[in-house]
Amino acid sequence: MSRISDLQKNLFGGTASNARQFGMIATLVAIVLLFQIWTGGLTLTSGNLIAVVSQYSYILILAIGMLMVIVAGHIDLSVGSVAAFTGIVVAKTMQEHSLPWPLGILLGLLVGAAIGAWQGFWVAYVGVPAFIVTLAGMLLFRGGNQYIGNADTVPVPTGFRDIGAGFLPEVGPDTGYNNLTLLLGLLACAGVVWREWRARQTRRVMHADAAPLWVTGIRLAVMVGIIVFTTLRFAGGRVGTSFPISGIILIALVLAYSYYTRNTIGGRHIYAVGGNSRAAELSGVKLRRVNFLVMMNMSVLAALAGMIFVARSAASGPQDGLSWELDAIAAVFIGGAAVSGGLGTISGSIVGGLVMALLNNGLQLEGVGSDMVQIIKGLVLLLAVAFDVYSKSQGRFSIIGTLMRPFRQNETSTPVDPPNPASDQDKAPVAG
Amino acid sequence: MRRTITRGIAVIGAAALLALGTACSNEREGSGSTGKDTSDAKGGFAQDGLVGVALPAKTSENWVLAGDLFTNGLKDAGFKADVQYAGASTTVADQQAQISSMVTKGAKVIVIGATDAAQLSTQVAQAKQAGATVIAYDRLITNTKDVDYYIAFDNFKVGQLQGQALLDGMKAKKAKGPYTIELFSGSPDDNNSKVFFDGAMEVLKPAIDKGDIVVGSGQTDIKQTATQGWKAENAQSRMDSLLNSTYTGKKTLDGVLSPNDTLARAIITSVKGAGKPVPVVTGQDSEVESVKSIMAGEQYSTINKDTRKLVAETIKMVQSLQKGDKPTINDTKSYNNGSKVVPSYLLPPVIVTKENAAEAYANDPKLSPLTK
Repeated sequence: MSRISDLQKNLFGGTASNARQFGMIATLVAIVLLFQIWTGGLTLTSGNLIAVVSQYSYILILAIGMLMVIVAGHIDLSVGSVAAFTGIVVAKTMQEHSLPWPLGILLGLLVGAAIGAWQGFWVAYVGVPAFIVTLAGMLLFRGGNQYIGNADTVPVPTGFRDIGAGFLPEVGPDTGYNNLTLLLGLLACAGVVWREWRARQTRRVMHADAAPLWVTGIRLAVMVGIIVFTTLRFAGGRVGTSFPISGIILIALVLAYSYYTRNTIGGRHIYAVGGNSRAAELSGVKLRRVNFLVMMNMSVLAALAGMIFVARSAASGPQDGLSWELDAIAAVFIGGAAVSGGLGTISGSIVGGLVMALLNNGLQLEGVGSDMVQIIKGLVLLLAVAFDVYSKSQGRFSIIGTLMRPFRQNETSTPVDPPNPASDQDKAPVAG
Repeated sequence: MRRTITRGIAVIGAAALLALGTACSNEREGSGSTGKDTSDAKGGFAQDGLVGVALPAKTSENWVLAGDLFTNGLKDAGFKADVQYAGASTTVADQQAQISSMVTKGAKVIVIGATDAAQLSTQVAQAKQAGATVIAYDRLITNTKDVDYYIAFDNFKVGQLQGQALLDGMKAKKAKGPYTIELFSGSPDDNNSKVFFDGAMEVLKPAIDKGDIVVGSGQTDIKQTATQGWKAENAQSRMDSLLNSTYTGKKTLDGVLSPNDTLARAIITSVKGAGKPVPVVTGQDSEVESVKSIMAGEQYSTINKDTRKLVAETIKMVQSLQKGDKPTINDTKSYNNGSKVVPSYLLPPVIVTKENAAEAYANDPKLSPLTK
């Protein structure tokens, strides 16, 4: 076998390759480069990257929860209102009862869980469609926000602001970089190498073809290279800045939820329910519990996102959370999730969210007005999904599908396979 | 064979890493050098420096006009201008992102017409640390030390003029009281709403206490009178409910205190819809439709806060910052934003009724034909 075909087979979408992950990083890099050139190098400056992460981390956190909701075949329109409601409750309590801020965060998460339980109850156990339940929730909690806050803007204490606007401290010797960010980058590199090594080991145990070592080497070099580059950028910003704390929260959530949806029984049940709920139920999946947990989880994440936004804005205001649900839903669909449920990945949604974020940022750097930005974002959403739908219907290569394809050969431990999209048509309505 | 290839790859990879690492220009700078370009420095900044202007969503004619004036005015003065409006639905988040972008682009001065005055402290701090001078335009940014200047019309005076106009208008229509009125105030997230209202109440309160003026619904608290988001529909629905609850039967409404023109027209629409005679309604901003309405004898008054003057003064301020001079300030004690007293430059507003409209708008190409 020639080396070229080895490379083709193994590096891009080949049997043994981690094609999805690699392809997504490539897509993102292409978008970044486009704006990097267009804005004359401003996109990749440390200051801008740090700003983008702290500006959009709350939307990406929402996208994580929204992906699971959409995969399960539902939708959640209430996230913005839930975020705003939690924000004002936390801000007011901290201001009026001088609650310490760590307890404030805890209170916020509890409020989110309570709201989630309320919405989950109606969706899973009463059987009202999630669209209706969360439409009601959108009104309910928006009103709640204005009722509690008197439509006023309530400032939050300085300690609390760290979760939205905070940075890692400067410790250790003066290296010219933020040392803790460097440490994070090092961890990320080690994680990537360890993962690749584990994958190879699994394949050896399974007696499957392993990719040639040199292909793995290239892949690792590219991935480590990107990590090193971004690490140096984030670590090299103005003194006192680093990789934002909200970004660290986001990454922790992404890793945890990716593992959950990909490698655990509970996570695969969500895909099973979204693919074909009746079949899933007959196979022993506890339909109601899955629906309940998915809706509840979404509200908890919305509460967290709301608190991060409030922390960043240093105050909770009556306009918080307006149309966040739309940003989160757009990120999930650009990231390749199916409207009918059962398909989509966390990392895909994050990439979808980043595409929107970088688009927004790049256009703003260019001084394009917010009216045009909205028009462009709308068209990008429509075209991205339309292109994918068209390619699929033509039986051709589906770009998003390829990028998002779960690398099944690697996932020998997967208990429930993601259902075939073809089964979507005869899928019974979920919980309705 | 395979091993040599692997080793080769490893070497290439390592080289690539090194290249990437060294290619990264480090933006770190010692704390000593930050603030090199701030207003405190003697030198000012380059004559063609970038000036960012972040304005709220295009909800009133004034902001649209201000944006155009800034774009042209700054360009004529030799600066590079970046004028941005917040989106209509995600105003606060948009404005935060826009200010961050201006900082990234290296703006020397950032002029901000805040959408929510209390939710910008992180971005303003970011601007300050990057060495930009922050000017709060028309709306004061609160709870932050990082605002350098505030420029606006004297809004307390605006409120006083509105209150006085309401009294005068009602007296002109009906010589003797007691008069029945209703009160409206602006959006609670706008710092100015309270200032307008307090100014008007300073004039109206003595008359209310004496019994010359009666607030028909009894709603005199700013929380009851607030109009969320300065939205016409909110004012209109509140007026509808007031008419239905308080002004049934023969009870007449003599006057309405409205903080601006958009709301004034909404209030008039509501009253007309209910088939009642139009009361004396105040306003502010000199919007085209309201000037027409005043000339037609419906709305009683408006305030002329000439956006041209305000923008021109702001650009003057930017110019003196550019030269490294201290900008002109005429108030150093009224505007406390919760963290500090912000040095302010206040312009005097002018009350406009049907009588003095022609004179007041003589210099305004859009409004003066309407007054003929």
